[in-house]
Amino acid sequence: MDRRTFFKKSIGASVFAGALFNEKFNELFNVNYNIDGILPFDLVAVKGGEPDVMFRKGIDALGGISKFIKKGQKVVVKPNIGWDVTPERAANTNPILVSEIVQQCISAGASDVYVFDHTCDNWQRCYKNSGIESGVKKVGGKMAPGNSEKYYRDVKIPNGKSLIKAKEHELILNSDVFINVPILKHHGGTRLTIAMKNLMGIVWDRGYWHRNDLHQCIADYATYRKPNLNIVDAYYVMKQNGPRGVSKDDVVVMKSLLISTDMVAIDTAATKLFGMNPTEVRYIQLASEQKVGRMDLENLNIKRISL
Amino acid sequence: MQWLKRFRVIVAIIFSIAITIIFLDYLSVIPSNYVAFLTSLQLAPNLMRTLVILTSASFGLLFVIILTFLFGRVYCSTLCPLGVLQDVIIRFANIRKRKNRFRFRKQYYLLHYSLFALIVILALAGSIVLLNLLEPFSNYGRIVANLLSPLVVSLNNGFEYIFDHLEIMSLFHIQIIYVSAMSAISAGIFLIVIVYLSYNHGRLFCNTLCPVGALLSILSRFTIFKIIIDVNNCKECGLCEKVCKASCINSNNKEIDFAACVGCFNCISACPTVGISYDARKKKIHTTEININKSRRSVMKIFALPTFGITFSKIFNDVLENPKNESGYLETHKHPISPPGSLSVERFASLCTACHLCVSSCPTQVLFPSLLEYGIAGLFQPRLNFDLNYCNYDCIICSQICPSGAILPIDINTKKEIQIGKVEFFKPDCIVVTKGRDCGACSEHCPTKAVKMVPYKKYLMIPEIEIDLCVGCGACQYACPVLPNKAIYVNTNTIHQKARIPEVIKAKSTINETNEFPF
Repeated sequence: MDRRTFFKKSIGASVFAGALFNEKFNELFNVNYNIDGILPFDLVAVKGGEPDVMFRKGIDALGGISKFIKKGQKVVVKPNIGWDVTPERAANTNPILVSEIVQQCISAGASDVYVFDHTCDNWQRCYKNSGIESGVKKVGGKMAPGNSEKYYRDVKIPNGKSLIKAKEHELILNSDVFINVPILKHHGGTRLTIAMKNLMGIVWDRGYWHRNDLHQCIADYATYRKPNLNIVDAYYVMKQNGPRGVSKDDVVVMKSLLISTDMVAIDTAATKLFGMNPTEVRYIQLASEQKVGRMDLENLNIKRISL
Repeated sequence: MQWLKRFRVIVAIIFSIAITIIFLDYLSVIPSNYVAFLTSLQLAPNLMRTLVILTSASFGLLFVIILTFLFGRVYCSTLCPLGVLQDVIIRFANIRKRKNRFRFRKQYYLLHYSLFALIVILALAGSIVLLNLLEPFSNYGRIVANLLSPLVVSLNNGFEYIFDHLEIMSLFHIQIIYVSAMSAISAGIFLIVIVYLSYNHGRLFCNTLCPVGALLSILSRFTIFKIIIDVNNCKECGLCEKVCKASCINSNNKEIDFAACVGCFNCISACPTVGISYDARKKKIHTTEININKSRRSVMKIFALPTFGITFSKIFNDVLENPKNESGYLETHKHPISPPGSLSVERFASLCTACHLCVSSCPTQVLFPSLLEYGIAGLFQPRLNFDLNYCNYDCIICSQICPSGAILPIDINTKKEIQIGKVEFFKPDCIVVTKGRDCGACSEHCPTKAVKMVPYKKYLMIPEIEIDLCVGCGACQYACPVLPNKAIYVNTNTIHQKARIPEVIKAKSTINETNEFPF
């Protein structure tokens, strides 16, 4: 049993038990995931810089990327690459940010850094036109396909209410570290798409989610899959016509970035950044009720950096 | 002149491989101008195209015509991929059977030319179905796209499986390659017929059924340089006749029926002396006597065929008639949607030779061979199938490569204004109504926000459509999770219309200039 399978199994067991013991187990669970134990902050918020600069400042405040990655580990980075549009349309995660993250992972000694998304538009066009493919390859990362059911494995969601099983990409299951890099944007169906919604890009059958209470499915999945690190790109932010957008006019420049291990906290903060009330986004509320993370930002230890 | 055959073989191999590859380009890596160049040398589709629109591709047509006027039907042995395929089979037969087995045969000119005339008449009357069934380039295309391509994709997936285990990421698994069963079966039948004919009778197809062969045969009657037998040098060995795949050399009379000659130069190579070669001297062409009785019957048969076809299609359409479905989703399956750039369904159906180049090149595989959706006359012409996928808003590949001009070349901005169909939302089937839960998959995928989400009861959002913004790309229909009948679908525009460009409403900036965070 390697380290990863051990984690998987222990997480599975703890999640199952978590249904019985709830909060106590959840704390234990979080400790399991923060590889170097307690982090100095629950959430880091940066604003006023370029995407790569903001990430460097933000991750340094948490103690550097090496807090999350050990030498020789396999890393998977999951940006949003859902649409065949150019970077300034802000439908996909900023390629400069993704490139910087991959580079830092490699510098920290990661053996392999894979980047993928289960795209909506044609995946090759998305990878290319988002600028992410060239940005990742330039710094030595690898683009992996997510276009075929063959790459997905059955997983169970023990705490799920609407979603009890899913097919998850094998890279997520096989990697040591999972970094979730969503972009903050408007979404016609769920109001906003941020960290938890971005996980829809690591599963195969999204139609099931849409048919069976989308918000609940998003929250259910978040009870099962917790990325080691979430980085929300809010440099360019699509304010309307999301998630694909119609033109550049849907986008405003916010020059912000959030980092946290807590998806509920980061989604709550991002929603406020967007100018909405977090209770308006039902899946955040549901995930908070299912103890995925915390919405009470006032009680969290937040590092705010203005550049 | 021995080098002629070698030259022909090299050119034939290069061209047929190149043509085959463009039909196997499931990764869309071949630039479309390269594809356009290759297909511009294909007579039938380029003739159609030139009649519709004059572009640089028309030079290809001019080249082929000049080539034929100069040297006869060399096209048939070099540029025609189906001709080269037959040559490969004939070569294989040479190994299995006797090598020098061909005999001079009187050509079935009446049958061949009548068939050609019928194709022209039908085309003028608006139906090119007979052309599509017999035209060599499109048939070759259908063979590669429907039979070889799935095979290559399977091979890709096999190798990918091995590579994946070796952690090499250079290949990736192709999820599905959609194959139309009927289209594949018909391509298979055609392949069997071609293999049988060429294995046993050489280039019989080219001189009896092929419309391109007929046209070139007529043109080659006016050719300047012809292959003739030089009576002074001929040793009367008869080798030239025995190697002639087109069975057009009569070594007894020392005459060559040049209108049937496919320009393979086997005879020149086989001749032990210099008894046979190209010559500009005008010689009387040996015209074959025609066995009227036999041919007349076959002519009757050809004319009977379309009549039968039309009756058959009527019966079939009646069978396909479904009971009225309230939602209209099933109705959309009966009326094909033609690709952007084809202007109208009718125009597309009258020009598309169903070569399936667009089908194999479409990155999303939304283009799918139809069966009888366009009617019997439009057999296998591609339509957009939104149950399989949707038309990428920023993609114009099919318009750039269509060899026949059925899909006109359009630029990306023009495409975004073309409305090939109109969205229809059947509210009672929508998840938001039936389950009382948020969904929004349709609006999510809509590139123009012709489908947008508006407030509906309590906290829910429901799709609302704005038809004149719709381009008919089908993304909403594809994304709609409702089974089995989608709640949102696209009805065809039989004549393509103009979509309104979405007006610009600048998003309000909420940049916090005070350097404070809202949390």
